[in-house]
Amino acid sequence: MNMLILSGVALAFSGFAAKGVVMDRHYADIHGRGKEPDSAVRLRMRLIGWLALGLSFIACIGASGWHLGPVLWCGVLSIAAWSVTLLLQYAPRKVLLGAWIGVPAALLAAGLLLFA
Amino acid sequence: MKEGVVVKEGLRQSMSWVHTWAGLLVCWLLLLVFMAGTAAYYRHEITFWMKPELHKAADAPSKIASADAAVLAVRGLQQRAPAASGWFIDLPSERNPLITASWTNPPKKGMSREERRNAFRQQNFVLDPMTGLDTAAPRDTRGGEFLYRLHFDLYYMSAIWGRWIVGIAAMFMLVAIVSGVITHKRIFKDFFTFRPRKGQRSWLDAHNASAVLALPFHLMITYTGLVTLMFMYMPSPTKALYGEDQNTMFADVFMNVDRTRPARVAAPLADIAPMLQQAERAWGEAPTRVVVSHPNDANAKVELFRPSGRQLSNIEPSMTFNGASGALVSSTGPISTTLSARAALYGLHVAHFADPLLRALFFICGLAGCAMVATGALLWGVKERQKYAKIVAQGGKVGFGVRLVDALNIGAIAGLPVAFAVYFWSNRLLPLELVERSNAEANCFFAAWAGCAILAQIRPTRGMWRFQLTLGALLLGALPLLNALTTHSHLGVTLFGGPGLRPVAGFDLVTLALGLLLGWAAWWLGRKGKKQALAKPAAPAAAANPPAPLEAA
Repeated sequence: MNMLILSGVALAFSGFAAKGVVMDRHYADIHGRGKEPDSAVRLRMRLIGWLALGLSFIACIGASGWHLGPVLWCGVLSIAAWSVTLLLQYAPRKVLLGAWIGVPAALLAAGLLLFA
Repeated sequence: MKEGVVVKEGLRQSMSWVHTWAGLLVCWLLLLVFMAGTAAYYRHEITFWMKPELHKAADAPSKIASADAAVLAVRGLQQRAPAASGWFIDLPSERNPLITASWTNPPKKGMSREERRNAFRQQNFVLDPMTGLDTAAPRDTRGGEFLYRLHFDLYYMSAIWGRWIVGIAAMFMLVAIVSGVITHKRIFKDFFTFRPRKGQRSWLDAHNASAVLALPFHLMITYTGLVTLMFMYMPSPTKALYGEDQNTMFADVFMNVDRTRPARVAAPLADIAPMLQQAERAWGEAPTRVVVSHPNDANAKVELFRPSGRQLSNIEPSMTFNGASGALVSSTGPISTTLSARAALYGLHVAHFADPLLRALFFICGLAGCAMVATGALLWGVKERQKYAKIVAQGGKVGFGVRLVDALNIGAIAGLPVAFAVYFWSNRLLPLELVERSNAEANCFFAAWAGCAILAQIRPTRGMWRFQLTLGALLLGALPLLNALTTHSHLGVTLFGGPGLRPVAGFDLVTLALGLLLGWAAWWLGRKGKKQALAKPAAPAAAANPPAPLEAA
């Protein structure tokens, strides 16, 4: 159960990170002043971001059910968004790295939901 | 096309005006409400910390079955209050290591509501589940209950007045949230943006981050807060249907309100243990709350409540037994959709369902709410002060409004943590035999707050910010030390002991963390002050008129 919540947090973090790193200001912070992501990359990252947020919702529902899951998800989203905000300011490159945590988290959540 | 743009700008601007003034008018009261409400998520833990006499009994590993615990409590109640009109028993559970029992007496004629409530505060006892004996008598304190009541009843006034004032502030809050979202031009573009060391920009970013990123929580908590007292704020529909007889309405809507009358025929109360066992078999978990109405009467009724934690609702599933025969009468059936919707909204606000993780998330979001209100209040001063930049540079003074808001900000943002800390200090330092001790604790809270607010009005300067923040940091941060000096349950014991004392450890650690946070804020302000003094050595006017407390961040 707790592993499921943890993967929900990780997925929310990745989702926000993916959406954050292609935003103009943060992209320029990471890749240098004046750089802009090309539109295909931007679209892809945004889709991945939404997908990760959706998976995080499923993980929270899986962990706490339909009554409490949505409440848990809202809290998880806030925590993840604050983490991404602070990281984008103080260590923007770490966000690129940290975003990958969503991949093992997605596998873990899928495993727990489908086979446990 | 162009017209549409103009209208949009107009809407934004007018919403900005609404946001500013709806927020500013009530922000200091809202800060109190937010802080007390955030603390109230842990009111049982706070109460437990404030009654150190109970710590020893709670530390013993308890393996008592809830049926046995209920039997112990009933025995105690039979000795103390056999003729009571109601018994209320809380059995040991995750958040409550002890057996607590209280009772109400049949109402006497001519007793006011307040007198009844005061009498009820005396009519309780706590049992050690290991020995079945009374614990050491806890000191007279209202503990976290005071903060919980402060959150919506305020203090020094009737509860009705307090609820109206808090309710109006909450309506302003709702207006401020909605208008804030509309007026926030770059809500998506600035979603993850926080730019420190940029003066007004940084305060705005912090305000946005604490507000937008926890928006679901802020909207939910404000709206559901209004729903909890909706019968008071919107009385017309029920007045139209029930007239003055509001109690009938409550009895009709909330079937849990007891309407049975005593038969006035004595009948011994049936053994309670089989009832608890039956409920435990049905639910798969033991009941945590027992309510007996009219004990030892032929019409006696025993209600068992399941622990919350599976659903949002604040109405817990229950089973009702005939108190004289011990037979099952009913278990709560499905309640109406409207009532369950209200129960879910109410439940969301009070979060009884929350497990430790969810509770921590609510607490953190509550702190974010405090930060949102505080940064919003500061922003007004920072913006308004710019209008006076030239005058101040020439040695003039800022306007009355700015000075007033600055002073109120210091008194609320830096003063309230001092008041909370003083409340906890008074709990340990006031003599135990003091008459009306719980009221004295509350008076300490307000005396400390008033002191901070008055000092701030006299000298609303950066130095005052630093003084009060440092004071709050020291008082809050030293609470674990105070606890170690005045009790036997210091962090060395509570961190490594059994689960019963974990709430005490949690309290100590959270206050320590909050103290460090305030200390950091005071240190940061001091560093800023030095930097500014170095940057402008040629401006003696700035030294004569200490610069804006929190201007350039």
